[in-house]
Amino acid sequence: MHPRPPTPSSIPPKLTVNFVLPYASELSTKEVDMVIVPATTGQMGVLPGHVATIAELKPGVLSVHEGSETTKYFVSSGFVFIHANSFADIIAVEAVPLDQIDANLVQKGLADFTQKLSSATTELEKAEAQIGIDVHSALNSALTG
Amino acid sequence: MKSVKNIQKITKAMKMVAASKLRAIQTKAENSRGLWQPFTALLGDLPSADVKKNVVVTISSDKGLCGGINSTSVKISKGLHKLNSGPEKETKYVILGEKAKAQLVRDSKKDIELIITELQKNPLNYTQVSVLADEILKNVEYDALRIVFNKFHSVVSFVPTVSTVLSPEIVEREAESGGKLGDLDSYEVEGGETKGEILQNLAEFQFSCVMFNAVLENACSEQGARMSAMDSSSRNAGDMLDRLTLTYNRSP
Repeated sequence: MHPRPPTPSSIPPKLTVNFVLPYASELSTKEVDMVIVPATTGQMGVLPGHVATIAELKPGVLSVHEGSETTKYFVSSGFVFIHANSFADIIAVEAVPLDQIDANLVQKGLADFTQKLSSATTELEKAEAQIGIDVHSALNSALTG
Repeated sequence: MKSVKNIQKITKAMKMVAASKLRAIQTKAENSRGLWQPFTALLGDLPSADVKKNVVVTISSDKGLCGGINSTSVKISKGLHKLNSGPEKETKYVILGEKAKAQLVRDSKKDIELIITELQKNPLNYTQVSVLADEILKNVEYDALRIVFNKFHSVVSFVPTVSTVLSPEIVEREAESGGKLGDLDSYEVEGGETKGEILQNLAEFQFSCVMFNAVLENACSEQGARMSAMDSSSRNAGDMLDRLTLTYNRSP
């Protein structure tokens, strides 16, 4: 594993991003201007020179801004570590580019889980249905927003 | 002579099968290598952490005929056990795979917490490993988890490796005492009720990611070791066949 550079005295111009998934490294030491991550506290924008942070992610849209182009992914959950030397590590369990998501299936899934929640009896079933609703409504707003 | 020839055919075939399985798994393992690197960048890898409750997770194969890799994993696990024994310290085993179970049950039966086998019935994926990690974390009390597996360097080289995952309390302790983890306090922790809750989630996530990579690397090493074992046995069978043929032709 390559050692990370130490914290520079002035803010570097670009943010270096590592975006990893269990089955692939989506982005590896890519230099970008900004990323917006869906943290549990809301959408968090990360710029070079951001204070060191550890944040847990909730289902939502991750967008990577490089120059004038933006790549958007839907992320299921994970963690983001922002280091003082303007390195950002995003570890997600699942991520898909937004254009690969089928809107009809999202609607269907949302309806399914809402129905499951109303018919759920045990705490476990309720929790599972609630998670399904959260993910699908996040998917929905990702596609429309 | 006929039996030797048959054995040669079988081992040659096994080598081909292992080669094809290896190719399939190798890409997966290489892609999963990026998964644990951010955790190590943040928390470091501290095999020297001195803790009270050690849990050694030994990863091995279910099938045999794969050379010496399972024995090396078991040797290292036993070594770790010896290293970490002392007053107030205890080491427990969690075993994945039949081969390690067979070897460890003989002399360390009382230290074994969990045994899990038939890991590779379905192709390895992250969901399966995270369920496994969940089970282990639920059933075993730990201060440090040491995962023993064979890291895949190339078809002929597999290095036994230990990855250490520390529990949140130990991480706090190491952070306070300075050293490699000293910067951890400078990180702001967003969200959640308390910092401890996020760090707990982090430790669990780290464990499942490291396990996923470890299981894949071990599977690759298993296939690679089987390839070279089968190759050498085919060659031995060939030599034996030649010698036998000569003796057969010579005798009246």
